[in-house]
Amino acid sequence: MPSRSFLTLFSERVKIQPDAPALSWGGQIVSYAELDWMVGSMSSAIAGLDLTQDAPVCVPARKSPETIALVIACLKAGHRVLLPSDLLGADALAELCTQVGCTYVLSSRENVRFTASLGRQPEPGELGLMLTTSGSTGSPKTVVLSAEGVDRFLSWGTSQFGIKPGVIVLNYAPLNFDLCLLDIWATLAVGACAELVEQDKATDGTYLLDLCTRRALTVIQAVPMFYRLLADAILDGRAFDSVEHVICTGDALPLKLLERLPRLFPQATLWNVYGCTETNDSFLHEVTVDEALAHGTVPIGRPITGVDAVIVDESGAIIDGSGSGELLVTTPFQTRGYLDQQLNGERWREGYFRTGDTVRRDENGLFFLIGRNDYHVKVRGVRTNLQEVERVILDHLDVLEAAVVAVPDEIAGHLLHVVVRRRPYSGLNSIQLRAHSAAKLPRTAVPSVVEIVDHALPRTSTGKIDRNVVRAYREKMQLVG
Amino acid sequence: MKRCNLSAEVEIKRFIIANFARDVTPDELGSDLNLLDSGVVDSLGLLRLIAWVGDTYHIPVNDVNVSTDDFSSIDAIRSFIEESRSGVLQNDRSS
Repeated sequence: MPSRSFLTLFSERVKIQPDAPALSWGGQIVSYAELDWMVGSMSSAIAGLDLTQDAPVCVPARKSPETIALVIACLKAGHRVLLPSDLLGADALAELCTQVGCTYVLSSRENVRFTASLGRQPEPGELGLMLTTSGSTGSPKTVVLSAEGVDRFLSWGTSQFGIKPGVIVLNYAPLNFDLCLLDIWATLAVGACAELVEQDKATDGTYLLDLCTRRALTVIQAVPMFYRLLADAILDGRAFDSVEHVICTGDALPLKLLERLPRLFPQATLWNVYGCTETNDSFLHEVTVDEALAHGTVPIGRPITGVDAVIVDESGAIIDGSGSGELLVTTPFQTRGYLDQQLNGERWREGYFRTGDTVRRDENGLFFLIGRNDYHVKVRGVRTNLQEVERVILDHLDVLEAAVVAVPDEIAGHLLHVVVRRRPYSGLNSIQLRAHSAAKLPRTAVPSVVEIVDHALPRTSTGKIDRNVVRAYREKMQLVG
Repeated sequence: MKRCNLSAEVEIKRFIIANFARDVTPDELGSDLNLLDSGVVDSLGLLRLIAWVGDTYHIPVNDVNVSTDDFSSIDAIRSFIEESRSGVLQNDRSS
């Protein structure tokens, strides 16, 4: 996020195009001059606090123009900014602030002083921004962004997706996500306009449809759930002709959803982007429906220029040519590491980040995401990938959503349970679904328990199906019998 | 005899629905559906099914040579029960 060169670029934009829209939020437009004025008033407030230069501050990421102005003001004042989710509980927030050494939790509404000890001193070249990543397991990890890395990303992202003055970029992700580096921070660095999706309405398809209809968006970056909500909300034949780039990221794009996208965005290039907070965007693939259908899945493609990717087997040996294993990447955009040195030792290997994702590379050098390493479980002694099972189930025409979870079992080690939301009036039952799964999966991978529901499955704030909630529920059902 | 078979079929369906496919109605569960190939009954489920048939129909399943084919569908299970009860089973199986 904002590096020194971001601040320079942003100031230039304020001078060159003061009246151009910088942010669009809840039907209101904030121009570059207005945003700069907000930054100014936040700067005065920060100057009144007893903060030393370089002291880190915590800004919970409640998405709004005011919070964005506050982050810019903090960086201008030379503070490093920890930008955690605004949904973090009070205890977790306090612990995080203590770890990082933030003495203040700032917001555009009120500032709370923390009596935290001063954390570690920043190293030269460290960017002012720290993001947290929760991962699918464990407690939040603080990722320290690098100034050079962010600069390189801003430059790459804006040129790759044609972000420039006059362009409107949809920001769907919460403000604490690395995705905002493109759809908010890169957008502001080059004088384009970021259309901010309001977080509490992010799963309201009617709201999203209205927003996309009202605003002539040029670039959209979002998780697959956004596209599904939008596609499901359209009851007429409407299409979004202004959109030039459609970027899917954060989750696997189901083929059935992909097939609906060209009609929605007839003028757009479809992209599949793979990356993580630690490395930022690492793989990019221009997606076509025909190719994806031929492969049976959407490839993550090839490493972005400057990115090096290697695949290692379970012993850590590098696999050359085609094969599958854990993906390790090094990118021009990557962070300086975690705040926690011990974690750095676990997740980085000679400058390469261990993604924890299993990938496959085909004979043509094209990469495919197989799933998270931690989605592997042993079912009756057989290593089984929950995501693969889920993908097969999602291929059934009457399945809208599915979550496959592994429930511990005394005899089998784990048993697979699947909760499926069926298409309304489809009459899909567990036997049909099992027959479908059994035709495509090994016996051990066919879920032992199939539950068919007619309601939406629980989702996390990022729009991914909340497997933890589903698993806890299934474990409870298991006990009940 | 006819009535007896029908009732066995209903009982088997009930057991399978209660244990492996609770969302399904008896009508939706075809008697000729291959329970194993379709994944309705897995290998652990098969053991439970065999034990249940033994208990319910007083067939010494541990002593006879049980083949998975005998439990592949509701029709197959019904035939297995019929044959076992008429005592034909052991002779046929041992060959």
